Amino acid sequence: MSWRAVVAVVLLIAGGLLEVIAVLGICVMRDAYDRLHYPGLAGFGAFLICLGVLIRESFSLVGDKALLVGLILVFTGPILVQTSLRSLLIRELGDWRIKARERSEQ
Amino acid sequence: MNEWEIAATVLGFALVPCTAGALLSAPRHGLAAIQVAAILLSTILVLLAEGFHRQPFIDLAVVFAPMSLVGTLMFARLMEQDL
Repeated sequence: MSWRAVVAVVLLIAGGLLEVIAVLGICVMRDAYDRLHYPGLAGFGAFLICLGVLIRESFSLVGDKALLVGLILVFTGPILVQTSLRSLLIRELGDWRIKARERSEQ
Repeated sequence: MNEWEIAATVLGFALVPCTAGALLSAPRHGLAAIQVAAILLSTILVLLAEGFHRQPFIDLAVVFAPMSLVGTLMFARLMEQDL
């Protein structure tokens, strides 16, 4: 077994464990705000798995695309969480920008 | 069955509670489950491509990852407006 295969399997196991922990967190947490901690963790797990594919395949067609998928998932995770939290806050408390404008007009 | 196919199977089972949470719980609770399910599905497609040595699966993952971002942003926007 070459060192590339060993590192790829280690990254695969680490990434898979992170994703399973993220799923467990989604199942266990009861509040929507608590649950939103876990998409970032799952994205990082996906990045580790894609990194494992890249190390095994090197910079080939499959390796490059795996790296692209991993980067998309790890970089869009925080954007999604931020947008989701903003939407949840607006749904519960209303748009704070309108309230601030009304306050300044009074 | 190689290690990539085993990992794809494990993550496939992990997809079940996320899908159930997204379908059965209230929208504000299902949002995080949808996000994790999309990430899991993209990862499964990458693993299947590596396990079966079939490149089309990873093409699907390349398309699905940005589309899931757009879909979740749309869902969040609609949820914000109480739709």
